[in-house]
Amino acid sequence: MIKTTVGIATLASACSVAIGAHAQLVTVKQLSLPIAATIGTTALQTCKAQGYNVSVHVIGNMGEVLVALRGDNTGPHTMENSMRKALTSRGTRLPSGQFAENVSKTPNAGALRLGNMIPARGALPIKAGEDVVGAVGVSGAPGGDKDEACAQAGIDKVADQLK
Amino acid sequence: MSKVHHLVGAALACVLATSANAQLLQHKDLSNAIATTIALTAVDACKEQGYNVSVHVVGRNGEVLVGLRHHAAGVNTFENSWKKAYTARTFRIASGKFAENVGQNPVAGQLFLANIVAARGALPIMIGEETIGAVGVSGAPGGDKDEVCAQAGIDKVKDQLR
Repeated sequence: MIKTTVGIATLASACSVAIGAHAQLVTVKQLSLPIAATIGTTALQTCKAQGYNVSVHVIGNMGEVLVALRGDNTGPHTMENSMRKALTSRGTRLPSGQFAENVSKTPNAGALRLGNMIPARGALPIKAGEDVVGAVGVSGAPGGDKDEACAQAGIDKVADQLK
Repeated sequence: MSKVHHLVGAALACVLATSANAQLLQHKDLSNAIATTIALTAVDACKEQGYNVSVHVVGRNGEVLVGLRHHAAGVNTFENSWKKAYTARTFRIASGKFAENVGQNPVAGQLFLANIVAARGALPIMIGEETIGAVGVSGAPGGDKDEVCAQAGIDKVKDQLR
């Protein structure tokens, strides 16, 4: 018992950053629904204004869906695709198009085997400073670059609130 | 005139079966704009009363048109609001009414269907007598309070539901 206690105490002092008695709760920033809804609707409307019907997902820090929007006259896969693009972007903290580029040279990349990961352009991480707090994914435009532009428009709309 | 008779004859002969003159079905569906307004209004209506809720609007085939998770809503609310909406769409009645109906029969077959939930808080979205979707709310302390917010969402667009 004593040995264990001493052992733990030693470990704790050695790793005070990790599990010290003074450890603090982690403070994180979280997307609010109003911000997420603005990102989602702005992305959808931006694409619509360009003649593209798209579906959009905005996900939060843990990949949870905050906003899901199915566009009029979109393909049935666009809901799943926009969600998976967003998850991919959040997971890698990269534009999903960047992830697609990265893994194109390594088709056996482990990341491609994870649930819901998809190497397809059209999603961007949502950042507060350097911290990724979520992601927005778009699907339905004729080309991932066009999806991505609408995702960017959604983020730009709330840029001054992302801090 | 005789042509008209022909047409009438053909229509009678084929009224139930397929025919060369069969027409495609036409119906009205919820647009993204209307569905989004319903959902956002439902969230706001509950928020005004101090309730943080998640909301789903589903379309004619039960497909998700809009899903919204309030940042302070409980973890289960997103799934629950969807299942309530799906239930209201499926049975074309308020999910609370469905819950009441099956309350007498805990082994009702419908309860064993996927994604059906006997919980109040969702309403069918109608054009006249036709159900074209549903809105489900979850997160208020009581299905009756969820349902009020769902109703507020529908009321907001009632001029457009025709």
